[in-house]
Amino acid sequence: MAPLEPWEKVLVDAGKFLPTDHGQIACMECHNGVQASEKEAAHVGLIASPSSEPEKYCGGECHSEQVATYPFALHSTQQGYWTALEARGGSHPALDEMFGNHCATCHTTCGECHVSQPKNVGGGLFTGHVFETTPPMTRSCTACHGSRVGNEFLGKNEGIPGDVHFREARMNCVKCHEGEDMHGTATDAMTAEVNRFAGTESPKCVDCHEEAAPNGDNNPMHQVHGDTLSCQVCHSVTYTSCDGCHVAVSETSGNPFFETDATYQTFLIGRNPIQSEERPYAFVPVRHTPVTADAYEYYGENLLPNFNAAPTWVYSTPHNIQKNTAQNISCETCHNGDASIFLTADKVRPEEMEANLSVIVESLPPMLTLEQTLNAPTTPASHLEHASNSCTACHTKGIRNAPVSPEDHVIYKDRNCSGCHKLQK
Amino acid sequence: MKLKPIGLLIAGACLIAACATVKVESPTGTEPPLATEAVLASTPEADKCLACHTDKQRLIDTAKPVELAEAESKGVG
Ligand code: HEC
Ligand code: HEC
Ligand code: HEC
Ligand code: HEC
Ligand code: HEC
Ligand code: HEC
Ligand code: HEC
Repeated sequence: MAPLEPWEKVLVDAGKFLPTDHGQIACMECHNGVQASEKEAAHVGLIASPSSEPEKYCGGECHSEQVATYPFALHSTQQGYWTALEARGGSHPALDEMFGNHCATCHTTCGECHVSQPKNVGGGLFTGHVFETTPPMTRSCTACHGSRVGNEFLGKNEGIPGDVHFREARMNCVKCHEGEDMHGTATDAMTAEVNRFAGTESPKCVDCHEEAAPNGDNNPMHQVHGDTLSCQVCHSVTYTSCDGCHVAVSETSGNPFFETDATYQTFLIGRNPIQSEERPYAFVPVRHTPVTADAYEYYGENLLPNFNAAPTWVYSTPHNIQKNTAQNISCETCHNGDASIFLTADKVRPEEMEANLSVIVESLPPMLTLEQTLNAPTTPASHLEHASNSCTACHTKGIRNAPVSPEDHVIYKDRNCSGCHKLQK
Repeated sequence: MKLKPIGLLIAGACLIAACATVKVESPTGTEPPLATEAVLASTPEADKCLACHTDKQRLIDTAKPVELAEAESKGVG
């Protein structure tokens, strides 16, 4: 995103804007102010950001649909921030002040996706005030989502290719994140989303790639791991993690500022801390968030009293999808006992160990090869009717003449068996 | 993109503040509702807002210079 000159930011392109529907409306209808030739007089009572009050300036007969849901959408509520703060016991009035100083600047107005660059990068009309139906990717989305998603997607991290959807299919954000997702669907606070990964996956990779779902194609990787590993476990590459964020207000300038200690590239697979029917994966890539127990110390003591109640290595969906990755070359890259791409305890800081118990990988995937899985005996069709769904109950000891499983199978759990032993048709 | 959001924020804030040096509470409830039937077509002759905001030189002359507020944040936000 090229920096704009101050005048460029506010230059209206009459030729482009006036013929549009919004251009037919007088400036003052939306911005208030006074008809005067002098800037200062004209700007008395100015409303710089009309769309921060969407019900007043965007609703009515025009966009009632978006206006009804947007106040409850995550971009507007920033509830994801609160959900994370509250999970760690944060509910002190001092945090409200902190939020106002450091977080609220990312509250998004309609205009920041459709009219002008986000205020936190200094604003500036996209196209001479034309209301763009499709938000421009680098001037809107990645102006806010720059340091992680943007850099990953656009391939700006050195040596790491951008997302295949961008590199090869020239897709932009909104090809996957459609208007309805951005505007939200809830119409009241009760049903509003609590964070970005609540509920169903949206968007969902298999909605566009039906063939990659289990039983979709003949790729053994998809067959075996369609719902035990998230797609990103095999299709994303190294992404950004950060450590040690602290926020404060400058004594010299009075401006809020932040500091993060370290930013580094990792690729680590952890256990899924939010496993659910909608997100059944046992394993997902995890990203380190820069939160620390004393991140908000400037505002008060012990503001996150339950720091250990939520992981610092979090569920993530890195935006640098590739068809071929180092880890998906073969089954053995993950099934050879090598722990380097798994979030094992040795990779977690001692003071964060407890917070991450739900994510840390304790036992590595079983050692196996593709041949072994392909040659594994099938399960008799009659097993479908087994009342007990415990395979080990019979096969460990040979109860009722069941074949005894080999000794090296002790590491498997019941849920692992069907990965190799397919049901006879 | 390596943003310095705070520095830029300050720059942006100055810019927006520049448009409202006389601080007046926005009069709530007094604005007329959006004219939906009788829309007011603007022309630079009739509308002083438009006249200025389409005149590059006037905008250059009146825009507050961006104060190079030193970015105090460190690291990636
Ligand atoms: C239909 C309502 C509407 C009309 C009419 C309108 N604007 Fe805007 N204007 C907006 C919105 C929405 C934004 C985006 C800022 C926000 O709401 O967050 C905006 C932003 C701006 C900006 C700020 C750019 C920036 O980011 O710094 C300027 C300057 C501006 N308008 C001038 C004008 C002028 C001059 C006219 C008349 C020619 C006009 N506007 C007419 C709604 C309107
Ligand atoms: C003004 C800054 C800003 C802009 C511009 C912006 N976002 Fe966001 N976005 C945020 C913030 C802040 C959140 C986190 C809200 C939360 O979790 O509480 C978010 C959350 C999201 C999420 C996850 C939550 C959800 O609603 O699904 C997606 C996806 C997303 N943004 C995509 C986009 C896309 C695509 C664009 C451009 C069309 C965009 N954003 C423009 C600030 C912004
Ligand atoms: C090929 C499809 C696709 C494209 C293109 C895409 N995304 Fe996403 N995005 C996803 C998926 C899938 C998720 C995970 C959704 C879920 O699990 O509910 C996601 C999640 C997100 C999230 C929330 C999780 C996080 O990492 O913070 C944000 C923010 C986001 N996307 C922003 C963007 C932005 C900005 C762009 C453009 C630069 C973009 N996306 C382009 C598919 C896409
Ligand atoms: C985070 C970014 C974001 C925000 C904030 C946002 N929108 Fe959108 N909007 C989108 C995207 C993405 C689309 C779909 C663009 C496309 O299909 O090309 C869209 C589409 C639209 C459309 C066209 C719908 C159609 O069916 O053609 C309208 C109208 C609209 N938005 C109005 C609004 C209003 C009003 C608000 C505030 C209440 C708002 N938007 C806030 C991202 C956003
Ligand atoms: C909105 C539809 C859409 C979504 C959602 C989507 N993709 Fe794609 N994907 C495409 C398109 C279109 C292409 C390029 C054409 C092609 O090769 O199929 C593509 C290409 C790919 C490729 C490269 C295929 C090749 O043959 O080179 C991979 C791998 C991939 N996507 C994985 C994913 C993953 C993983 C997700 C979820 C994070 C996802 N896609 C989400 C539409 C989508
Ligand atoms: C266990 C690893 C693994 C998982 C999990 C996985 N894939 Fe794949 N995927 C692969 C491999 C390996 C290829 C083949 C690469 C090649 O042909 O060179 C592939 C190929 C693809 C392709 C390219 C089309 C094709 O068939 O060649 C798409 C699209 C794709 N995967 C999407 C997905 C989606 C969507 C998910 C999640 C539902 C997913 N994959 C989960 C390993 C995996
Ligand atoms: C990107 C890493 C990765 C790759 C590649 C991978 N696996 Fe796995 N695999 C895992 C993990 C992690 C588990 C443990 C899952 C669990 O505990 O639920 C697992 C478990 C299994 C299991 C036990 C059954 C199950 O689903 O839990 C089988 C069988 C298996 N994998 C076979 C394969 C085969 C065959 C291939 C190659 C076609 C393969 N895996 C490729 C990571 C991988």
